[in-house]
Amino acid sequence: MTEPVGKLIEELKNLGGKVEEVRGREIYLVASRDSLRSLAKALYSAGAYLKTCAGVDERPIQGVLSVYYIFGLDELGVDVILRVPVTEEDARVPTIVPEVPAADWCELEARDMIGVEITGRPVRRLVLPEDWPEGVYPLRKDFDYSTRPLRGFRSELPEEVGVPLGPYHPALHEPEYFELYVDGEKVVDVVYRGFHVHRGIEKLAESPRFTYKQVPFLAERICGICGFVHSSCYVMAVEKAAGIEVPERAEFIRSIVLEVERLHSHLLWLGVAAHLLGYDAGFMHAWRIREHTMVLAEYLTGSRKTYGINIIGGVRKDLNVDKLDKTLKTLATVREEFVKLAEVMLSVPQIRSRASGTGVLSRFEARALSVVGPVARASGLYRDVRKDYPYFAYREVSFKVPLYTEGDNLARLLVRVEEVLESIEIIKQLIDKLPGGPIAVESWDIPPYRRAVAAIEAPRGEDVHFIITGVGKPYRWRVRAPTYQNIPALRAMLRGAPLADAPLTIASIDPCFSCTDRVVVYDLKTGSRRTLRISGGVPPCPL
Amino acid sequence: MSLVKILEIALKTGRVTRRYPAEEPLVTPEFRGSIEVDPSKCWGCGACVKVCPPNALTLTPSGKSLVLEYFVGRCIFCGMCAEVCPAKAITVTKKFELASANLRDLRSRVVHEVLRCSVCGTPIAAEAEVRAVVKASPVSEEYAVLCPRCRKERFAKSIGLRVGAPGGGPS
Repeated sequence: MTEPVGKLIEELKNLGGKVEEVRGREIYLVASRDSLRSLAKALYSAGAYLKTCAGVDERPIQGVLSVYYIFGLDELGVDVILRVPVTEEDARVPTIVPEVPAADWCELEARDMIGVEITGRPVRRLVLPEDWPEGVYPLRKDFDYSTRPLRGFRSELPEEVGVPLGPYHPALHEPEYFELYVDGEKVVDVVYRGFHVHRGIEKLAESPRFTYKQVPFLAERICGICGFVHSSCYVMAVEKAAGIEVPERAEFIRSIVLEVERLHSHLLWLGVAAHLLGYDAGFMHAWRIREHTMVLAEYLTGSRKTYGINIIGGVRKDLNVDKLDKTLKTLATVREEFVKLAEVMLSVPQIRSRASGTGVLSRFEARALSVVGPVARASGLYRDVRKDYPYFAYREVSFKVPLYTEGDNLARLLVRVEEVLESIEIIKQLIDKLPGGPIAVESWDIPPYRRAVAAIEAPRGEDVHFIITGVGKPYRWRVRAPTYQNIPALRAMLRGAPLADAPLTIASIDPCFSCTDRVVVYDLKTGSRRTLRISGGVPPCPL
Repeated sequence: MSLVKILEIALKTGRVTRRYPAEEPLVTPEFRGSIEVDPSKCWGCGACVKVCPPNALTLTPSGKSLVLEYFVGRCIFCGMCAEVCPAKAITVTKKFELASANLRDLRSRVVHEVLRCSVCGTPIAAEAEVRAVVKASPVSEEYAVLCPRCRKERFAKSIGLRVGAPGGGPS
């Protein structure tokens, strides 16, 4: 450990933290309820971001319920993980939201899922539906996967019933719901209600029918756009926990495919952004260029999406001369066409005027909410997992991290435009340096109750998987998709802004939405209510 | 004005959408589609069932037989089954036009005869699997047709006979 890390650890020890384990670049500390807040504060002032927190039922192993707080020190590339164990009878932990605002959601999620009460803050259900019975916690180990609790119906209905058809269209996958409170045309507040379609994927992976080998395919289905990020992040977490050395060639192949995925994702988003701004010609051409990357992905992996090539210890599909050649040709075409299109798109006056100065997220707010990916980089935060915690083959390549300070929709657009070009250069370098050798280890062994944190820079930002290994399958697998971290920032972006900018601003974080999303608009003066339709062709995604 | 350049791009590009189904669909040589199980090669061992992430493959006893069923409606086309199949009975095809008005068309089955223990009659495994095991390894056929419990007993007895223990060892 380097000197600044050692100094920080000393400080944390003095505040009551007890070092439990140091594994690679992960430091595990046990904290008591009383020391949690001062430890969180010290970490936050030392520049750490909160990656996420996770409730774990550790009663079968150590007789306690634990809440893990995963902090990342980007500048040092070190993760500090605080574990607060509490007994089942006295399952309470204090909130750390006053010190670390980004903990808002994950605290509530831990409360819902394993039943640890969070004290010192207003609480509400975040993930569980309103009619879920009290005192039933789905991620506790004594809650069997196949249990379907009897859910009560509300006995009394309000006299006046609004029937919003939607936002939950029965055929669409991923509804998100924003209540925008407006005064005239100005948005005064935003309430987000999500998790309508929580799929219980973390619990499913613990169910008897899943094994270590099957989970990568499940992980890949968390997101319809950046699925490979999730399967990569899962296998990386397991490999880190078990100490499996992945062959270099496999790491290169994973990195190449991850960048191909970023290309298609950013091109998709640019198309959607153009469409939202009423510039459908731009949308059509962005998606036409994107199609080259989709065909390339299929040629490299066997599938346009959900590539299915990640296995623990390596990859399933090798690259050959033909494939590398085709990749370079496709990249040349995409680059040439994309540069032309980007130039045209950015010269459309309506795009510039509607995107600049709208949906502003200040650097201060971005830091407080620990936002990730292009949203962070457009607000002046130099954050990129590929640089901060280099994984796979990213140590071997040089690239630029686009940085803007305006924090508006245009900045987020420009970050993505530049990232497309950077990704193309990264793939070229990786192909140039591609080493030979095997693409997977022959066998592996995963000892139980080892922990690891893995993070990968997804097109939308940092994706985090936390794992505790079990027997034959993960004991606990916690997934934090990038959108989880970025949605809370929308409140800051939308407040005080004109209503007309809301659709673009919501889309500007590149959330994983259903094809059609709706926003209910309350007019504070008249009390009336109307729904606003955002049609943006963004396929489904995260948790 | 540079924004008019979009017209130039559009004219140069022309039509890119294929006239599918009149035109051949665009599928690369690496594409993974649905799988096919060759009944003449399949052993009915269930290795594919264990690895299948979405439970598209199932192995269930039905009367006197053991049925391997492939339900393409659940298949995610990962091809892991083909990778683990010890009999090389599974091939990954390039088929993807699989829609049908009849649910039965989405299921295909391989029916295996079940071998029963020659002593107690407990079902052991698919006959084809036992045959393959006998062929591949120097297991005496006499033992291969026994269930694990009877096999253990007979083995213990034979050891007992060899060392001359009274009663032929524990049983």
